[in-house]
Amino acid sequence: MTQQKRKSWAPILMGVLLLGGILFYDVPATAQEEVTSAIRRYKEYEVSTGYYEEYEARPRRQRPLVGVPGVSSGLFPYSPTAASVRSRTRLADSHRAIKFYWGRRCEDCHVAETRDIHTVRANLTCRQCHGGEPIASINHYFSPLNPIRRHAYVCAKCHEGASASYASYVIHEPSAGSASAKTGFPLLYYTYWFMLVLLVGTLAFFIPHSFLVGLRELFRKKRKAEK
Amino acid sequence: MMPKSRIKRFGITDRLFHLFLMLTFIIQAATGFSRLFITTGWGKKLSYVFGGYETALIIHKWAGALMIVGFLVHTIYLLTRIKWGNFIKSIFGPDSLVPNLYDVKHLWQRTLWIFGLGAPPRLNRWTYWEKFDYWAVYWGLPLLAITGLMLMYPLIICRMLPGWSLNIAMLLHKAEALLAISYIFIVHFFIGHLRPSSFPMNEGMFSGSVPLEEAMEEKPAWIERLKKEGKLEALETTPPATWYRVIYYVFGYAVLIFGIYLIINGIIYSRHITLH
Repeated sequence: MTQQKRKSWAPILMGVLLLGGILFYDVPATAQEEVTSAIRRYKEYEVSTGYYEEYEARPRRQRPLVGVPGVSSGLFPYSPTAASVRSRTRLADSHRAIKFYWGRRCEDCHVAETRDIHTVRANLTCRQCHGGEPIASINHYFSPLNPIRRHAYVCAKCHEGASASYASYVIHEPSAGSASAKTGFPLLYYTYWFMLVLLVGTLAFFIPHSFLVGLRELFRKKRKAEK
Repeated sequence: MMPKSRIKRFGITDRLFHLFLMLTFIIQAATGFSRLFITTGWGKKLSYVFGGYETALIIHKWAGALMIVGFLVHTIYLLTRIKWGNFIKSIFGPDSLVPNLYDVKHLWQRTLWIFGLGAPPRLNRWTYWEKFDYWAVYWGLPLLAITGLMLMYPLIICRMLPGWSLNIAMLLHKAEALLAISYIFIVHFFIGHLRPSSFPMNEGMFSGSVPLEEAMEEKPAWIERLKKEGKLEALETTPPATWYRVIYYVFGYAVLIFGIYLIINGIIYSRHITLH
């Protein structure tokens, strides 16, 4: 009897422990922690700062951008001179030579960028991440938003412990169903269309189906009542 | 002694699982919607019920963690229900919720019946739409759970996955939640409450039993099988007590009305949100 009782408590106990595990599992913020383990030493240090000893290192999981998307491709995709001419993603002043720049507001040109979660929900302003004038291109070598140090210089201001991998979250998402998402973020694009077809398909089948069954049952009920 | 006019359909465990799912689902829908629609006046008002934007998230996380535990406990329960000695029959037999070819046949027959082109299908214990309801939760919940845990612990997840996977997780979580909410609050509520044969409420999931006459009409193959196996009498039962009916009617309708309130406002304010 007691053994049986004990057995019946086992799943409940397991459930409670699991619940506690899910809710309270937390680890110290690794990116800012002191180096404590010889095995993790290199990885943690490199990921948190982008530097290993005095050398600038590539983040482990996220290589810094070496191509200029949509501009150049091939075996040797990047040339600093070409990039500065064709693309604004690597300039020290990304708004160089834009007419009447002094009289414009960010949202005059970057409309979509002012409407994502960070701006709408968290009320961040552009300059809180992109910095003051002159605003460097995000891939400029010394920009705080350069992928090699973005996590430590920008993300970690709010998200304590942000790693280089974490910083590859796309803040200014392309519109998920758009053609630009298809080229720029294909996984997002295909996930979006898959979910949309699933959503619309399920409802388009089950709503009319259930409604018509209801209608049919109504007629049957009426006929029965008449009989 | 009241006449035994009803047949037992759901045991106490099944009903408790359903009740648990109802409560956690409605909490998740309301807290989730309050955050999704926070840029609208309605979303703000809804979030005040839960103590604001931040507190709604704490409740959402707790209820989500409870759901995951419930899901795992249910899976263990499911494994104990399988008759391992007679595995094939247990999985593909008429008492199983696993879809089979009969479901496709029944769907086709029922579609013909809708348009007056044939007799209604002779449904067995679990109909194809009931099976769909069941399995929809079964793949929807893990998807919401995994993406939810990813968003709950982004720093840990980013040690294994690249950060842009959180963009995908956010999209999946939102789209799947919208699918689940619109399916439950439109299709499931219609089948359970508004369909003439269920109106005003299909009580099976609360009382545990359904009127024998109704079961004979909708699921004749089930009753016939029970008769043939001589199990019908053992499953016959008396109607639930009036006080109990009052409780589950009030509770069921409270959830129903709240669900409809959420979906109507969701549709009204849908132009303020996107799927991703």
